[in-house]
Amino acid sequence: MRIAGIALTLAALVLVPRAADAQLSFDARRLGMGGVSLGRDGNARRYNPAYRAVKNLSGGGTGAPRITIPVPLGLYDFFREHPINQLTNDPAFNPDSAAFNPIELLNLVLNPPVFLDIRKPPTPTNDIEFTIGKNQLIMNLGQTRVLIPDHSFGFGTSGRLVDMGFGFGGFNLSIMGFVHYDLSLTLDSALRSVLKDTVPVRPDSSYFIITDAIAQTGLTPTLSYSGRIWRPRPAIADSAPGRTAPNENADDGVYLGAAAHYYFGATYGRGVGPAGFTVGDPIFGVTPTMLFDGLVRTSNKPNGRGVGADVGIAWISGPFEVGIGANDIGAELTWSDTKIQRILYDPNGDSISTTMLANHVETKTKLPISYIANAALRMGTGTTVGGDVFNAGRGTVIHVGAEQRYGPFAVRGGVARDQRKKIQFGFGGGLRLGAFGLDVGVWTHSPSLSDQRAMTMATSISVY
Amino acid sequence: MKALAAAALLVLVTGCGQGKAIFNVDIYSFMAGTGADTIPYVVPPASSASVSTFSRVQLPPGFGSSVVDSVRITIGNANLVNSGGTGTVGFSIFFASDSAGTMTAASALDIPPTNVSGTNTVPVPITGDLSPAIYSLFASDTLWMRIAATGNNSGVTPVTGTGILTALVIRVVLQDKIL
Repeated sequence: MRIAGIALTLAALVLVPRAADAQLSFDARRLGMGGVSLGRDGNARRYNPAYRAVKNLSGGGTGAPRITIPVPLGLYDFFREHPINQLTNDPAFNPDSAAFNPIELLNLVLNPPVFLDIRKPPTPTNDIEFTIGKNQLIMNLGQTRVLIPDHSFGFGTSGRLVDMGFGFGGFNLSIMGFVHYDLSLTLDSALRSVLKDTVPVRPDSSYFIITDAIAQTGLTPTLSYSGRIWRPRPAIADSAPGRTAPNENADDGVYLGAAAHYYFGATYGRGVGPAGFTVGDPIFGVTPTMLFDGLVRTSNKPNGRGVGADVGIAWISGPFEVGIGANDIGAELTWSDTKIQRILYDPNGDSISTTMLANHVETKTKLPISYIANAALRMGTGTTVGGDVFNAGRGTVIHVGAEQRYGPFAVRGGVARDQRKKIQFGFGGGLRLGAFGLDVGVWTHSPSLSDQRAMTMATSISVY
Repeated sequence: MKALAAAALLVLVTGCGQGKAIFNVDIYSFMAGTGADTIPYVVPPASSASVSTFSRVQLPPGFGSSVVDSVRITIGNANLVNSGGTGTVGFSIFFASDSAGTMTAASALDIPPTNVSGTNTVPVPITGDLSPAIYSLFASDTLWMRIAATGNNSGVTPVTGTGILTALVIRVVLQDKIL
């Protein structure tokens, strides 16, 4: 089981950076447009405070449904392959089974099979070769070498957990929870050469991964304002025949939003250092020693303090709208009581020692800036196009998509550039009957160990 | 060894799929200089005799669930440095999970007898597929190997000399289920 744990951990290291663009939505409309949101949905309101003032008097902006209910066809497929009453004996989940594959298991966790996989990405089919001698070790990963990252990799996010408050006249006083975590891993050049370039392991040398992990969380009382700061005068009579219906321009105007945060950090931890091993000379003649030397900073008390701000602006003019917003600008927390410890593996005693380097010292941390920019245009012939650029602190994602309506029917398509800078595609359609709609969206994604794209079909029911 | 095994696991994890894990193990490099790479032989007149050398072979751990596809000696050579007499010397290779087991195991590879005579050095290639019966041993991280030299002497003077191993590389191909 220990080996299973190691393998799963290593699989996570390889998979997680590629899973950042995993399940992005449960809305088949959105997925069918490559991930773009033409409506004023959660992302726009979450990251652009100006959108919180938009009342959707024109009917939800660009036709966004009030509720979207996913139809999990993928679960039927999954449980047909893995009967729920036999999960405990299922070889796919049993590390003792020869059919157990940690890559597939982790992929399942990172990409829940809610929707139907039309084309699964193949796991690499590749021979790997070791050359082992008393003073020789060469690893040839074949085609799998392309999976060894050249640069730092990892995962992380900055999010808000709750938002409770009250307000009046555009002002709002609330308290939110925040959480930020980030894990960054970097292969040292020697280890990367061994794994990627088939360079022989050198005797009496060290091979390691540099780890930098941070996590912090707390509460932030927030005073915010969002409102329409400019509203155009109606240029035509509301009731003029053949003219625009009065309600369609009800949301027109320029909206501004801003929020000031005072952060109360509850807990914080950061670990930095190499982890690996040192081989002996000869390589297989001397027992290698584990290499672990980390600096760990942790808060002694829940006393992180800091300020930051969100700002956003949105302009809605009839069929056109555009917005841009950013969160946690200048958010720096000062932790007045932290300790710094060195955790070191001692190969002589085969033990790990912890040494206090400093206690009750001040440490500063930052929250990453998140931003979103979005635009949408209803072209008057049932066509709506839109796009957005989004970054939640770990890589920019770009979506561009369009929807064409023909009476109750809709056809959709879009493209996206994911966090791996890989182009993805989406297409789909829908049928709306009164207050209900059934939507189908197909999109490509690269969630696992493959350069080839997977294709998944999402289905959802929309309530308008 | 464990740290190297962890590195090997990293490699194997990234390579999970339908591919094969292939190990080219230079067994000779572990034997060289230890005395295990030489087999002195003395075959009395009108008789046969057998002498052996034992070696422990270590492979990366974690392959207990693996299926061994094939095991082959791809590179192998020994020199028969004969110092007297005329006869033949052949080699047999045995594998088992412990050293004692190699004494009762069936041979995994037999090298036909080679003629030796007088003071002479005769090279003997040692290559070939090993018996499938011993494949499962290569899924474990430790196994033992015995190389036996069997001499036949039909003459009237003893056949004496030393078999000296100069190369031995075993290629193990596994279906890469590492857990």
